[in-house]
Amino acid sequence: MTSHVLEWLAAYHDGELTINRQRQVEQHLQDCQTCRAELDAIEGLSSLLKADPVPQQTPPQRFAAQVQLRLPRTSPPFPRQNADPLPRWVLSAPLALIVVWAFLQSALWITSFILTADWFLGQRIVLFNSWLASESLPETIGDLLLLNAALLVGTTVLWATWMAFWWTWKQNLGLKLSFNRIQKEV
Amino acid sequence: MTSLHGIVEMDDRDLIACAQQGDRQAFTELVCRHQNGVVSLIYRMCGNPQQAEDAAQEAFVRVWQNLNSYKPQHAFRSWLYRIAANAALDSLRRERPSTDLDSLSLADPSTGPERSVEENQRTAQVREAIAHLSPPLRIVLILREYQELSYQEIAEALDIPTGTVMSRLNTARSQLRQELLVLMEEA
Repeated sequence: MTSHVLEWLAAYHDGELTINRQRQVEQHLQDCQTCRAELDAIEGLSSLLKADPVPQQTPPQRFAAQVQLRLPRTSPPFPRQNADPLPRWVLSAPLALIVVWAFLQSALWITSFILTADWFLGQRIVLFNSWLASESLPETIGDLLLLNAALLVGTTVLWATWMAFWWTWKQNLGLKLSFNRIQKEV
Repeated sequence: MTSLHGIVEMDDRDLIACAQQGDRQAFTELVCRHQNGVVSLIYRMCGNPQQAEDAAQEAFVRVWQNLNSYKPQHAFRSWLYRIAANAALDSLRRERPSTDLDSLSLADPSTGPERSVEENQRTAQVREAIAHLSPPLRIVLILREYQELSYQEIAEALDIPTGTVMSRLNTARSQLRQELLVLMEEA
């Protein structure tokens, strides 16, 4: 017979053993009277304790009403938001927009400056000997202004969308919760 | 405010989230759901039904006041029972522990008078034996035997390691077995 499993019996009784250990204990209990008696004692004590009933309690609704009466009239501050946090990419979206916008603005301004210098100085710079340089300066500047305006509008729309998303999340403390509520109510 | 039907259908997690926004109706539902567990736990700790109800109400007030410190990744029951256990200990400090005689007379009327007396005596002995345990042992035993929490849940509720839960439980059971030896042999 293997050595006794007395130290595992309480956990066995409470259902807290791993499957392997549980099998080991069960196997041992089949042959060992000492451990069997110890387990019976643990189970006997548990039954004895559970035989003691809890006296009748106040009905739940009445009890809850009594609790409500003891609650402070004003709600405690609930600054913490337990809704699921926004994904990181959402939080970094405004920064990305600023970087893209700044890059394109810089590119446009540098291009405009070089083209203007080129037109005044009458020298062609090879780098810009392209569709921009092939047009007259007013047309080129017009194209650039148009491009700049489109860029500004696009960035603003993206920014506004992000702000709306952020505001909704902040107000509702997570759309998920609201959605869950609606689902349950329906 | 959520409709009553909606609230009844909601699980604890959603109810807590609503209560955290100040929804008292959701909190009331939580109280109704957990009243039995909290009152039983405190009653087992202090042995007096009236004291238990009073301390349980106090525990729920503390729950309301501290709802914002509850983290959803932990089991609500463990968090709630931690507050309940503290409320029970505070109540025990304020008032002397006592066994209410009225509660002892609540025997099953279908059994004969001799049987009732015998049951009452046995119940009184069990309660006395539990009352003799030190509060740290008593709370672990109650959470396991009566509230049926797992070792992990008890560890979370009391903020102690699982190994300590096991050792306290073993000590509590050993002490009870010594004290209730006669009763156990009769059974």
